[in-house]
Amino acid sequence: MSLVATYRALFLASFQSFAAYRIQSLLWMLFAIVRPVIFLAAWVAVATAQGGTVGGYTIGDFAAYYVCLTFVNQLVLAWNSQEFEWEVNQGRLSAKLLRPLHPLHYAVVDNVVFKASTLPVLVVILILISISFDARYETQPWHVLVFIPSVLLAAGLTFFFNWIIASLAFWATRMNTANTLWNRASFVFAGQIAPISLMPGWLQAISYALPFWYMQGAPTEILRGGVTPERALFILAGQAAWLAVCFVAFQVIWRRGVRAYSAVGA
Amino acid sequence: MSEAVVDVRALEKIYKVHERSTGIGATVGSLFRRTWKDVPAVARIDFSIASGEVVGFLGPNGAGKTTTLKMLSGLLYPTGGDATVLGYTPWKRDYAFLRRIALLMGNRTQLVWDIPAADSFLVLKQIYGVEDGDFRRRLDELVELLELQPLIHKPVRQLSLGERMKVEFAAGLLHGPDVVFLDEPTLGLDVSMQARIRTFVAELNKRTGATILLTSHYMDDIVALCKRVIVIHHGKILYDGGLADLAERMAPYKVVGATLRDGAAETDLSRYGELMSKDDAGRVKLKVPRAEAPARTARLVADLGDAIADLSLEDPPIEDVIDRVFSGEQLLGAEAEPVAAR
Repeated sequence: MSLVATYRALFLASFQSFAAYRIQSLLWMLFAIVRPVIFLAAWVAVATAQGGTVGGYTIGDFAAYYVCLTFVNQLVLAWNSQEFEWEVNQGRLSAKLLRPLHPLHYAVVDNVVFKASTLPVLVVILILISISFDARYETQPWHVLVFIPSVLLAAGLTFFFNWIIASLAFWATRMNTANTLWNRASFVFAGQIAPISLMPGWLQAISYALPFWYMQGAPTEILRGGVTPERALFILAGQAAWLAVCFVAFQVIWRRGVRAYSAVGA
Repeated sequence: MSEAVVDVRALEKIYKVHERSTGIGATVGSLFRRTWKDVPAVARIDFSIASGEVVGFLGPNGAGKTTTLKMLSGLLYPTGGDATVLGYTPWKRDYAFLRRIALLMGNRTQLVWDIPAADSFLVLKQIYGVEDGDFRRRLDELVELLELQPLIHKPVRQLSLGERMKVEFAAGLLHGPDVVFLDEPTLGLDVSMQARIRTFVAELNKRTGATILLTSHYMDDIVALCKRVIVIHHGKILYDGGLADLAERMAPYKVVGATLRDGAAETDLSRYGELMSKDDAGRVKLKVPRAEAPARTARLVADLGDAIADLSLEDPPIEDVIDRVFSGEQLLGAEAEPVAAR
């Protein structure tokens, strides 16, 4: 079996499915923009009230941060845990497990197709937000070069972390709680509520120790610019370490999960 | 008989099921302490299937048929025992093994709903690594046998249940499996579609020599396709042997069918056997003990003579035999221990 040919066929099928639900997919993408835009609006209000800056961040800095965060969020998004619970409980996973291809590959393809298809619209919206809020970027060419591996590592980390949560469906009937927990943790520790440098020291320390910031806040900082080469290296190393941990954990949990899979209703 | 392609030894599957009594006390209690119960679905069964055989797997709901099929196709890990299919241990799910088997389940979909089946077929071709020539040949065959031409270019969600089942069959068989597990393949289909699927399965076995293990609630499926049946109940094999021998082994009676001429319709037939049915046209059916069937039939002919327009002596319908086995009736010749006729 040629994996390239398989991926080509899967991409085609996934794109056709996407086309059937293109409006819904675009709406999902727009929903994903709402949260960072609300935070941006809140920080702009605070900064305006405080004479134009908060902790050294101007309105233009906040705009650049949240535009980059929204862009990163879209690129690293993973949503398998929601679908996977349904697939396990309905026995739909059985058909995939019976094929000589790891179920992970279908998710990779769906993931890439959704992102690639919605990205052009998102970019236009983000350019308009940048212009409206007079976003101030400090991005150097080397930031863009480092951003590429950083966002890829972040996407891989998010993907495998999501698959670890998804795999819990082999044991638990309802996964909503785990998803909610992840969402809330991202909210605080990933840099959604505020850039991490505006947080108290102890919260920053926790964020550096957990994987969430490496999924979103870290590549956002690189893309916005202003990070030193040392900090960029620190980010890449942290991302690589967490990706390795999540990959190994996923392998172990998946193997055990498939053993526990009772193919109910399959 | 050729070499066994499915070999099952003391295969066992025990499900752990959460259990609690009804009522508020039990509900609150279960929050703190869960009670688990072992439910044996398959209890150390043994059988083997030779290459090219079509075997019917019979049993009521919850007998362990589907669990066995899932273990043999690699979806479930057994609790104990061993099995090989084509020389592979199924639950290791080697890709080389998965390329040579198929598990098709009635009323279950594996196709992408939003795209035409033809596009899903192309994905499956790549996943299974099917050569272009083989793919075209098999697809043509399946399109012809299942009359798929008008269906494969429509999105799957627009197909009726019967149409979808046919397309699912094609999807499951495009890679040319050597062993096919069919779980209730005609479930929910109308009579003509059931017949078409049956013809297709028979033709598949004839053309490709695939080994087929089939479960069905419809005896017509089994009678049409299987010379051999394995009867499973409460996870244990009750019978493994020829379909033709099943009635002889497991039913203690035969059925005498007679058509009586006018004037003889009111004759008391209880001396010859237990009256099963009688209609206005004079047709009667009598249940007679198997061992005494020839003698009683002869006596009936001798006593009634010309009053009999037509006469037959048959095994009871296979549905009745199976129904008696599953309902736990005491059967003549059927021991409590598993019966192996092979």
